[in-house]
Amino acid sequence: MTDAIISIRNVTKRFGSFTAVEDVTIDIQPGEIFALLGPSGCGKSTLLRMIAGFETPTEGDILIDGKDVTDVAPNRRPVNMVFQSYAVFPHMSVADNVAYGLKMDRLPGAEIKEKVAEALEQVKLTDFAHRMPDQLSGGQRQRVALARALAKRPRVLLLDEPLSALDAKLRDAMRLELVKLQESVGVSFVMVTHDQSEALAMADRVAVLKDGRLMQLADPMTLYKHPSDTFVADFIGRVNFFEVEEFKPGSAEVRVQSLGAVTLPTPVEFAAGEKLVLAVRPEYMRVRPWDGTGVAATLGDVGFQGDSSIVEVTLESGQPVQVLSGIADTPVLLGLEPGAKVGVDVDLGEGRVLRG
Amino acid sequence: MAKARRNKRGPFEYAHKLSMQTVFVLATIFLYAPIVVLIIFSFNDSRRGGNVIWRGFTTDYYVKAANNASLIEAFVNSLAIAVISTIFAVILGAITAIVLWRFRFPLKPGYEGLVALPIVIPEICMGVAIAVFFSSMGLYVSPGTLWPFNLTNIIIAHITFSFPFAAMVIRTRLNNFNREMEEAAKDLGASEFQVFRDILLPHMKPGLIAGGLLAFTLSLDDFVITFFTSGPDTVTFPVKVYSMVRFSVTPEINAASTVLILITLVLTAIAMRFQSFEEEHK
Repeated sequence: MTDAIISIRNVTKRFGSFTAVEDVTIDIQPGEIFALLGPSGCGKSTLLRMIAGFETPTEGDILIDGKDVTDVAPNRRPVNMVFQSYAVFPHMSVADNVAYGLKMDRLPGAEIKEKVAEALEQVKLTDFAHRMPDQLSGGQRQRVALARALAKRPRVLLLDEPLSALDAKLRDAMRLELVKLQESVGVSFVMVTHDQSEALAMADRVAVLKDGRLMQLADPMTLYKHPSDTFVADFIGRVNFFEVEEFKPGSAEVRVQSLGAVTLPTPVEFAAGEKLVLAVRPEYMRVRPWDGTGVAATLGDVGFQGDSSIVEVTLESGQPVQVLSGIADTPVLLGLEPGAKVGVDVDLGEGRVLRG
Repeated sequence: MAKARRNKRGPFEYAHKLSMQTVFVLATIFLYAPIVVLIIFSFNDSRRGGNVIWRGFTTDYYVKAANNASLIEAFVNSLAIAVISTIFAVILGAITAIVLWRFRFPLKPGYEGLVALPIVIPEICMGVAIAVFFSSMGLYVSPGTLWPFNLTNIIIAHITFSFPFAAMVIRTRLNNFNREMEEAAKDLGASEFQVFRDILLPHMKPGLIAGGLLAFTLSLDDFVITFFTSGPDTVTFPVKVYSMVRFSVTPEINAASTVLILITLVLTAIAMRFQSFEEEHK
C-alpha cells in the first residue's frame, strides 16, 4: 500500500504510565473520508493530533505522502486541521483568518487574495469576508475554520469532532455539506467523532478504537453488518446478545440460551471451548401476537419514534430484548398492551456469532 | 392574582426599605464627603487665616498652583516616574504572567505566591525594605544627575510594587486564552514567534492596557514607598503635597489634589472599560 496518503505504522503513544494509543496501524487513501470512531478516551483525538504533529508517537512512524513526518513540526506538515472549538482568530476578519495560513507561506498578495476568494466561495461565505468572528453564528464560524484550512490546499484535512458544537438540526445539514465539500475539493478528510451515526453517514471507511486499540477498520456497511466483536456490534447501533451455550466447530447447529436450538446460515468457525454470543440487531426481529410459534415473550414498554418503535420484550428465559418495529408492526396497532404474551421472530440469517 | 403579587415586595428587594436607604446615604457621605469638601474648597477665595470658611468662588488657586515651580517640578517628576515604571512593570508583568500561565516547573505555587507578595506586604515595610536595600547596596543617585536619571531609585521602587498588579491582570486575561488558537496558528504554518506576535499578543492587549493603567495610577499617587526612596532633589507630587500641608493648608493644595484625583479617576475608568471589554469577549 504505497499509494496511501497517510500511513500510521505501529504507532503507540504513552503519557507517563497511561497508554493512549497502542500499536495502531492504519493506511488512509487519497480522496476518502476516514473516520476515527470511539468512546471518549479511546485515543482517537491523540491519533489525530499525532497526524497533525501536536503529539509525537512514543513508538512507530507516521508517513504523509510516503515521507516520514514523525519528527516534523506541525507548521511544516502538509495537513491542516479544523479544531473542535474552530479556533477562529477573534481579532481578524473572516478574510484575514482565511489569509493567515497563506501569509505564513509568504505567497504574493495577489495570489493570497485569489485563494481567499476561492476558499470563501467553497464554503459559501463570500458575502461575509469583512465580518468579524463575533458577528458570525456557530455554523458560519465552522465554515471559516474549514475555508482557512482548505485555502492551504492540504494533502489531508483533519477534523476534530467537526459537528459536536452545532445544534442538532444544523448538524444533520452539515453532514451532507461536508461530504459534498469533500467531493468537490477531492482532499482526504480524516475526522474524529464519538457519534457512530455521524461516522456511518459520512465516512467511506471507519476505524473503531477502544482503549487505544484498533478494534475494526471497515466501510460503514461491513462495520454494521459484520462487526468483529461485541464491542463494535454494541457501539455501532443497537444490538441484542444471546449467549451461545453449545456449539461444534464447523457446524451450523448451535444451542442458544433463550432461543433454544437454532441453525445458523453459516458454520461456526471458532475453536471449541470459546465463549460465544449470537448478536442480532433489533430490526431483524419482529413482535406479533402469540400464536404458539416463535419465541414466547412478554411485551414491555414501547418507545414510539414516529416511523418506527423500539419495543422492549422479556423472553421466557428472563432476558430483556429490544425489537425495532416498523410502523405497521407497532404493538399498539396490533392491539397489544404491555404485559401481553407475544411471539418474537428472529431472522437468524442476520445473526452473527461473535467472541463474547 | 398577578396584579396583587406585583405589589408585594420580593425577598431581596431591600432597596425599598427606609433603613437600607438611610444606611446607603450615610455610607456615601462617609466615603465621599471629604473629597467633595476638598474639591469645593479648592475654589475657595480664602486669602489668609486658613481654608476652613467659605469666602467666595475663585479659580485663582489653580492658576497659583500652575505657577508654583516646585509643585510643577514635582508633578513632572511624578509623571515621568509613572510613565517609565509603567513600561517596565507591564513588560515584567507580561513575562511573569506568561511564564506562570504557560510553564510547569518545580515550586511553581511558591513562586506564584512570591510574585503576589508585594501586593499584601504593608507598604511601610516595603518602603523601609527598599530604602535599606538601596543604602546597603550603595545604590543612590548622586545629586546633580541628569533628569530623569536622578529618579532611578524611585522608579525601581515603583516597578517593584506595581509589576505584581500588572502581572495579575495580564494573567487573568491569559487564563481565558483558547490554546486551540495557538495550535491552529501553528497548524497554518506559524512559528512560535509568529504565534506570539499574531495571536497571543493581540489577545493579551486589553490586559496589557488595563495592567498598565493600574500600574500608572499606583505609581502616580504612591506616597509611602516614594517617601523612603526620594531625596531632596527628587520630590514627587504626593510628597510635595505632604510637605505643603505640613506648612499650611492652602486652597492651592486642594487645587493640586483635585487635578490628581481627576487624572486617577479618568485612568481608572479607562482601565475598567478595558476589563469589561475583556469580559464581553471571552
